[in-house]
Amino acid sequence: MSRVTFQSLILKLQNFWAERGCVVETPLDLEVGAGTMHPATFLRVLGPEPWNVAYVQPSRRPADGRYGDNPFRLGKHYQFQVILKPSPLEVQDLYLDSLRAIGLDLSKHDIRFEEDNWESPTLGAWGVGWQILLDGMEITQFTYFQQAGGIDLAPVSAEITYGLERLTMFLAKESSVYDIDWTSGVGYGAARKQDEYEFSKYYFETADVDLHWKLFDAYEGEARRCLEAKLVLPAYDWTLKCSHVFNTLDARGAVSVTERVGVIKRVRDLAVRCAEGYLAAREELGFPLLQEGQGPRAEG
Amino acid sequence: MSEYFFELLTEEIPASMHWAAVDKLRTQLEELAHTLGAEDPARSVDVDTTSRRIHFVMKRLPLRKPDSEQEVKGPPKKSAYGTDGAPTPALHGFLKKQNATIDDVIDSSDEYIRIRRMVKGRDISELLQERVPAIIEGIRWPKMMRVGKGEYAYIRPVHSVISLFDEQHLPIRIFGIDSGTATVGHRTLGPKKVAVTSYLDYRQQLELAHVIIESERRAHVMAQRALVLSKEVGGVPTEDASIVAQWKYLTEYPGLVRAEFRREYLALPEEVLVTVMRVHQKQLPIRSSDGRLTNFFLAVLDNAGDPEGHAAYGNSFVTNARFADAQFFYETDRRRKLEERLEQLSHLQFQEKLGHYLDKTQRIERIAAEICRAAGVDATDVAVAARLCKTDLVTEMVKEFTDLQGRVGGIYAREEGLPDNVWQAVYDHYQPVSLDDALPRNVTGAVVSLADRIDTLTGFFAIGAKPTGSKDPFGLRRAAQGVVQILLNRDRREIRIGIDKLIDIATTDANVKADLLAFFAERVRTILEASAWQFAYDEIAAAMEAGWASSLTDLVDRIHAVKAIRDESNFLSVLDSAKRIANITAGHTSTRVDAAKLEHATEKRLAALTDVVTAQIDEMISERQYRQALESFAGMAPELETFFKDVMVMVDDEAVRTNRMSLLRRVGGAVMKIADVTKIVVDRRDYRP
Repeated sequence: MSRVTFQSLILKLQNFWAERGCVVETPLDLEVGAGTMHPATFLRVLGPEPWNVAYVQPSRRPADGRYGDNPFRLGKHYQFQVILKPSPLEVQDLYLDSLRAIGLDLSKHDIRFEEDNWESPTLGAWGVGWQILLDGMEITQFTYFQQAGGIDLAPVSAEITYGLERLTMFLAKESSVYDIDWTSGVGYGAARKQDEYEFSKYYFETADVDLHWKLFDAYEGEARRCLEAKLVLPAYDWTLKCSHVFNTLDARGAVSVTERVGVIKRVRDLAVRCAEGYLAAREELGFPLLQEGQGPRAEG
Repeated sequence: MSEYFFELLTEEIPASMHWAAVDKLRTQLEELAHTLGAEDPARSVDVDTTSRRIHFVMKRLPLRKPDSEQEVKGPPKKSAYGTDGAPTPALHGFLKKQNATIDDVIDSSDEYIRIRRMVKGRDISELLQERVPAIIEGIRWPKMMRVGKGEYAYIRPVHSVISLFDEQHLPIRIFGIDSGTATVGHRTLGPKKVAVTSYLDYRQQLELAHVIIESERRAHVMAQRALVLSKEVGGVPTEDASIVAQWKYLTEYPGLVRAEFRREYLALPEEVLVTVMRVHQKQLPIRSSDGRLTNFFLAVLDNAGDPEGHAAYGNSFVTNARFADAQFFYETDRRRKLEERLEQLSHLQFQEKLGHYLDKTQRIERIAAEICRAAGVDATDVAVAARLCKTDLVTEMVKEFTDLQGRVGGIYAREEGLPDNVWQAVYDHYQPVSLDDALPRNVTGAVVSLADRIDTLTGFFAIGAKPTGSKDPFGLRRAAQGVVQILLNRDRREIRIGIDKLIDIATTDANVKADLLAFFAERVRTILEASAWQFAYDEIAAAMEAGWASSLTDLVDRIHAVKAIRDESNFLSVLDSAKRIANITAGHTSTRVDAAKLEHATEKRLAALTDVVTAQIDEMISERQYRQALESFAGMAPELETFFKDVMVMVDDEAVRTNRMSLLRRVGGAVMKIADVTKIVVDRRDYRP
């Protein structure tokens, strides 16, 4: 296997899942903390319509920033997110095949599924599943979604989230994320180190706290207006903006222990209303992807 | 003799859930085997799991249940035969329905027709088809998931089922999935399909397919490997039964790899290194022969070996990464003394209505000082330890590794050069965390632990957050249990303080005190029942009736006394005396006896004896010679019997009646200070000569 690059990994995974009937989406053009928050996951897992999707998602977690100094922790990392709905019985084998597709001879490695259940209080979502360990290193989170936006899911979706930097570091045998190649000739460090430094400085030291609280209120208000107007998708965008503002305030140290609970609840309430609104809207449309010939087809 | 074999293939079941599930399943299958007529159900059933399979075999089953005789009641005789003596349609109908003939009718003593016939025993295989699905589908996992569209809920989705009865497929359905006779091999090392014919065949074929089906064998292989890999670097694996117990359920094919972390991390506190490896990574440290950590450790593999070194690399990688973090925290933390962190505690909330951790610290300091005063313990080191015991909560290390709270504080205190008493107290003050856990190793630690716990308990009870049923989100039961455990051990020797006094120091709220005492009483009962002393519940109840909250070690002494005398041959008369006294004097509290009102010679003798014995008993009680005191009381039994025979207590003359009741009350009251013996439950046959 020639030297693995960040970019080649993304291309291989995209191809693999495209061949298996996934819609290859683009990353969400808003600040989010995880691929799960993209409407292609959060909203699409609701209701009875089938759905298979795969996409890269830059995931911003302000509190995880380390100014570009820490070799494994980043304020923004890239996830490769896959949703398979309904979750196929052979989903674990599919996943292992995806690892083979990126060049791993699994018989020469240790691969294990260790219990790890996921939940997101902000999204009113939770599931059961595993962290997948490759030779002791966690490279993927696998979750059978049980609930989103407070709504029980039927059918259950399988979510597979790869940690792209981790995987690349491991395959390229690099001990610092900045030493991996984004592509041949362009290192990850060259691409992103300055980004990490400036955003860490911003989120920890510079962000205007008063402004962010005002923004939170404003975004929340606008989300509510959209929900009143039955515009669920714009409402969800505003909800995500609220969530990112909260993450910024949190990194900045501006949210006390008691305030925290209240703020999370406000975001959760919006997320729940968006979920309910989305489901109602789909129902009104007659759940289009259930129709014959519509909806992505997963090939086994 | 027949054999039934079953396998359920799902997906990786959480390691912590296997043991309980197997245990429960085994019980149910043994019951089933018994119902089916197996001679020795316990030896007939074998249940086990791999990470993603549940399998069992039931051996030595009969082919069918024995034929049995059955009696069935039919119609009334008078409607069974006509006036001519011939059978009526009613009788014919009954016989037909029961597949019987007129010859099966037997003489019956009542007015109903009865038939007796032999019922053929049902095929065991049929019974298995009926019972196995319900048993398997009925397993209640701690965390279930819905599968598919919600067709069923289980621990993970079910993939396939094997059901074999004497090498033949016995069709059953689990959650709508039809059984078969094939399974799969190891995920990455074995073939996709493995067809089997029997349990033995399954075991052998799966081994070839890189799956070891017996969990103990996997554990054994890994234990052996651990020794070999450790020896290669001159060390031994750490003893850790819980890690090995988890390892066997994380694999289908047992393997181990040895990896190493950078030597420089050995400078970090051992507790940190060990916690990271065991709790976060399920790795087992290798120690040198003198018990010290080396930079080598063992990690589990679901593979035979690690020929290309990937697993060694990967495990080293993650452990080094975590230790790098730990080192960063450690270095950051050490820049400030613990004392300097007190101010930060005011930003860390303990509980909304109970304030922040600086508030709590100040309460702990005050309570600890009072405990020292009340119990006669030197307060110097206690004051320092109480002050610093919570400061580690605002260190980076504890923020990251919360289960190290207390220990990190102790380590940092040690490194600051604080006296042993102080750093050990901080280190230990969260102990004991369970009934088997060690207690704080010195008095200072015990006092701080008591102060912290009683503050938490009175605080939560005051805001109405006491535990209900199975809900105890703040761990208050554990907090109270720790108090009891500490006082049982320490009370006699070094900290003489009762739980009642402890509560009084922490709060003046009478309602909280009452609630807490009731709560503590439950914990005391539970702990004493579970203790190595093997006290019976009635012995505990009898002694607690005479008080417990002012000294737990005193309570234990009194229970010992009760336990000793209940087996003596004269115990029944003691019990009967006590009972009679209790019954007769119910509601009467006075013990004032007017000698002038004593009429009968017997009652005068009893009064004189009472004076002597009660004085004796009181003296023995002050020396904590409870057994002798109870035996003294036992010595009065014959005189009491005579009294009850000769003297009538319930006379009309109120003065005389009251006087006699007072006398009896005095007798009974003497021993009530030790225990209420009427609470002892006896089987009178045990006392027959």
